[in-house]
Amino acid sequence: MHGVDITAGPMARRQTGGVVQSVAIVAGLEIGGAALLRTFLLSDATWVVVGLLAVFGAAFAALQIRPRLEEHIAVAFREMRLFALLLGCGIVLIYPFLMQGSSYALHLLITAQLYAVLALALNFQLGSANIPNFATAASYGIGAYSSALLAIHFGISVWLTLPVAAVVATVFGFALGFPAMRTRDTYLALVTIAFGIVIHQLLNNFTWTGGPNGLAGIPAPSILGHSFNSPIILLGFRLPSQANFYYLAAALVALSIVCARLLHHSRVGLAWNALRSDELAARCQGINVVWYKMLAFGVDAFLAAFAGSIYAFYVSYIAPDNFTFLVSVTIMTMVIVGGMDNTFGVIAGAFLLILLPEKLRIFDDYRLLFVGVVVILFLLLRPQGLFPQRPRNYGDH
Amino acid sequence: MRPPLLEARDLTLRFGGLVALDGVDLTLGHSEILCIIGPNGAGKSTLFNLISGIYRPQRGSVRLEGQDITWLPAHRIAAAGVVRTFQTSRLFNDLTLVDNVVIGMHSRTRTGVLTALLQPRAARRELNTAARRAGELIRSLSEDLYERRNTLAGALPQADRRRLEIARALASDPKMVMLDEPSSGMDDRDTDRLIADIRRIMAQRPGLSFVIIEHDMRLVGAIPERVMVLDYGRKIAEGCYADIRVMPRVQEAYLGQKAAHA
Repeated sequence: MHGVDITAGPMARRQTGGVVQSVAIVAGLEIGGAALLRTFLLSDATWVVVGLLAVFGAAFAALQIRPRLEEHIAVAFREMRLFALLLGCGIVLIYPFLMQGSSYALHLLITAQLYAVLALALNFQLGSANIPNFATAASYGIGAYSSALLAIHFGISVWLTLPVAAVVATVFGFALGFPAMRTRDTYLALVTIAFGIVIHQLLNNFTWTGGPNGLAGIPAPSILGHSFNSPIILLGFRLPSQANFYYLAAALVALSIVCARLLHHSRVGLAWNALRSDELAARCQGINVVWYKMLAFGVDAFLAAFAGSIYAFYVSYIAPDNFTFLVSVTIMTMVIVGGMDNTFGVIAGAFLLILLPEKLRIFDDYRLLFVGVVVILFLLLRPQGLFPQRPRNYGDH
Repeated sequence: MRPPLLEARDLTLRFGGLVALDGVDLTLGHSEILCIIGPNGAGKSTLFNLISGIYRPQRGSVRLEGQDITWLPAHRIAAAGVVRTFQTSRLFNDLTLVDNVVIGMHSRTRTGVLTALLQPRAARRELNTAARRAGELIRSLSEDLYERRNTLAGALPQADRRRLEIARALASDPKMVMLDEPSSGMDDRDTDRLIADIRRIMAQRPGLSFVIIEHDMRLVGAIPERVMVLDYGRKIAEGCYADIRVMPRVQEAYLGQKAAHA
């Protein structure tokens, strides 16, 4: 019976006296993880990158072989929640200062964070409710184009375009959800693929979207007179201008995590989980399955649009080919590899799938093949994803 | 006069040439237990699927306390107070026991996306209250199950799966519960416990009614006041168990013609 007891076991055995150990586990993992990521980002040597991957793989192999280990870590993070949170925020805040002024490393981090948001958005659908959606890139693109068009043609403040773009994308999300609800499984997947391709083609063919040439000259945002195109100079440190967007993307990731957690630990998250598990049984518990499926499309589009807007302002040039079907597939892979319905896992999946191909450029033509092999190996090692879904915890113990 | 709790009239459903249900009437009073028996393929589960809104009848109607619910979507029927369990239990296997029962309270809780995001405290409070009530509900059925409330439902043994499904059904404070072969796959001891559970639930919840599809004659003899017999989609008998069991038509349907005459 202990084998299946997920929360009670280790909790009961380590009532007190584990504080030092928990702090050590949390601090070790967070600082160690950040240090490994830093080495990974700044290293040019292929053997370092491959070596780090091996360390990563070994860590997950250890977790897979010794489930107790995973349990101890989970308990440590739960007991030291506030400490873990503060330390994590601290690391995120000082991280750009540790990048040796490398704008390339910051660029990778921004891209990875934006994709983390996209993966979190899709996770509401794919992870929580098991609804395939191959159109997340379309919502991403709708967000980017809405913001860019508003900022270029109407000179609307960048900060104001963010919510407007999100609302526009949400309307499209519901519009996709509506016909999609008449189908399910494979057919539903086909409807979303079609939607993604239609949006891509429309962006490609309309003149007011710039056609295949896209939109250029998207203005950079600014806060209190500080333009996001200028470097950050703080206490004698000089951070490249990318650091502005790094912090903006980090804020968006934080917002997404908060949304993900609030929804997961609510009646809505439970309803999504119910229809993932057994749609017929969910209906018979009074859950309006059609509404909750459409809601998942809406929430996915809403968050994806935020990522799209920030992407547009960051690169200041967008084209339809940034938002193709392949992008949607990549986002889906992130959710599946990282771990369905696990917030941290989904973010880890996004970082892995963005950073890996960049760092394996040495393999040249075989780069994507190598990435594919790594993904398959990880899935063989951890079929449930790197960080599988964890049972909910109510405040009663 | 107060209308009966549930009143189904002339329910008919054909699948192609096969008549699954043919003009069946069913009336259920408040705080009543009705048992439905009949050979395999008699249309018992089809009847449940029609009442709970999973299938739609080609003819006939279902009324709940006088309100027509024939064409309501399944989730609205559940919210109106008609809940069910399934022949092969359909728990949310990848969720904990508490989660399963909290989901059962879906139609009695309110939090939507906006509340969850903008009033997180209220949403959290509602969920924690629901979880505590779910724990109490599980405990009232089985102390053993309560100890395992934070484990995954998929790991439960068969008898406990039934019990949890009943707990999930009761979570919405329903007016009536339909149990589809609750004792299937259970041994005698588990069946005795099931009978005791149902009696206790009846005592704790005045006004609650049950419709039970059952094969186990011990359960049929022990619990209901009224038994209805279906065969080939038709109602062939209705009455108290003692009368029903000696009817030649019923014996014929169950044991075959020869055995009945032997």
